[in-house]
Amino acid sequence: MNDAVLSFSGIRQEFPAPGSDVGIRVIDGIDLDVGHGRFVAVIGPSGCGKSTLLQMAAGLLMPTRGTVHHRGRAIATINREVGFVPQQAQLFPWKTLAQNVELPLLLRGVGADERRERVAAALDAVGLSGFDHYFPSQLSGGMQKRGSIARTLVYRPDVILMDEPFGALDAQTRMVMQNDLQMLSRDASATVLFVTHDITEAVLLADNVAIMSQRPSKLLANIAINLPRPRNVFEPFKNPGFEDAYDAVWTVFRSQIGIRQQPH
Amino acid sequence: MMRSGPCSDPRSASASNPTESDRRLMNDLATTADQPLAGKPSARRSLASKAARGLMRLLPGLALLGFWQWASGRWIMETYVSKPTAVAARLYELFASGEIYPHLWTTGQELVLGYVIGVAGGIIGGYMLGRSPRIASIFEPYVMAFYGIPKIALAPLFIIWFGIGIGSKIALAAIMVFFLVFYNVYTGVRSVDRELANLTLVMGANQRQLTYHVYFPAAAPYVLLGMRMAVPYSVIGVIVGEFTSSIQGLGLFIREASATYDPAGVFAGIVILLVFVAIANFLAGRLERRLLRWKTLTVAAPNDI
Repeated sequence: MNDAVLSFSGIRQEFPAPGSDVGIRVIDGIDLDVGHGRFVAVIGPSGCGKSTLLQMAAGLLMPTRGTVHHRGRAIATINREVGFVPQQAQLFPWKTLAQNVELPLLLRGVGADERRERVAAALDAVGLSGFDHYFPSQLSGGMQKRGSIARTLVYRPDVILMDEPFGALDAQTRMVMQNDLQMLSRDASATVLFVTHDITEAVLLADNVAIMSQRPSKLLANIAINLPRPRNVFEPFKNPGFEDAYDAVWTVFRSQIGIRQQPH
Repeated sequence: MMRSGPCSDPRSASASNPTESDRRLMNDLATTADQPLAGKPSARRSLASKAARGLMRLLPGLALLGFWQWASGRWIMETYVSKPTAVAARLYELFASGEIYPHLWTTGQELVLGYVIGVAGGIIGGYMLGRSPRIASIFEPYVMAFYGIPKIALAPLFIIWFGIGIGSKIALAAIMVFFLVFYNVYTGVRSVDRELANLTLVMGANQRQLTYHVYFPAAAPYVLLGMRMAVPYSVIGVIVGEFTSSIQGLGLFIREASATYDPAGVFAGIVILLVFVAIANFLAGRLERRLLRWKTLTVAAPNDI
């Protein structure tokens, strides 16, 4: 046992394969600790089971072998102490923005007055005040994503799990959102586990970058990124030390993706 | 994001007033959107065009009635097809003498009860099978098999079971409505995004809250579609039941009119049924607009990001 908020130990995951008794092994033994207040990014080639780790942390999927502990407690059922930000915003289309953000508080039995205050504060934090009564279909992709983040921040979860949250956004919106997330997570001193396939994003946002191998995946490295904050997400190369940090991650990661050598 | 064209929707007025955070968002990317204002002339024009369209819609109907009136007695014997004025006169007579009221009352009761029972059963059954794949895998073949039976063929059986009163007609209407609603609800519940349901659980929902906040609203469009489609089927069920055997009701009235060579009476009965269906459709449409406001939104947010 250690003092990590979230700790994966000896995780192995197999999924049943069609037409075979032997399952496909996706994850082949992973140990990873997420310390309090840390921002940990997980990168890996597609299909390596990055998202599966988040599912386990949320208690939506039980590992075939190994355990996930949240503050020392083994996760055996839905974990309500975490917040989950999926790839698509997944707002409830039949609820207004304010009702969407309010729902976790409603489900947790928070009183009406406090709900109203906290919803207003959360919408303000993501820059969406004034849009309370809009339905998700009336909002742009970026605004929906902000709403999704507000809906998670509003109940102050102990750990925030983010599954390629900006993958579906256009490049400009993504930069703005990365910058906002950097501010928000620092203000809330949140613990974040962030899955991405974008090395630049991982290096810019994270305190630690965990690199997973191809399937069946293992943890190749867990690299600390010691760039000063706040970091400039709009011009990554202008952050002092960015190049070395990127290099450190890339050196490990490049072996995992098929790059054909250019003949000279 | 630019909104295309002027819009007479009153909600767009609030959307064209940028708030503090709107402006901040716009500055994020230094984009501004021109807001076309909804003008009064356009509202008046749209009202006039609506009236013109309504008139255009009436024309084919009026032409048909005119042709019917003209052709009856000239091309086809009036004994076969009657004519609009005769039908109108017969309708007036039926209501003035009060002759039709007992039939109306009986058929109305059968329709409402059959419809309500069918819808309720369809929603409960569809929801249960939709939520539980295990129950569904056991019962689906049976439901499929029963679905394949032409329900009208059950009419004589239901007369034996429930008598020639309103019971047999309610049963026939209910079973026709049930299958339509059942399949729509079943499909609707199964179409709920698994990820959305999981997210709601992580947010802190228990099963009851999950049903209320996710499954019901997600399935609502399907439920309402099923309810709308089921309206004419409930009428078919009731009328076929009354044709088969009954003491009172519009079906019986139509059959007797036909047996006594009274085509005006037959058409009068059909017109009354048409009014029934029209009222039910209107109510269903109102309910749909009320519950599914989130699906029919036209106004987009005033800016992007």
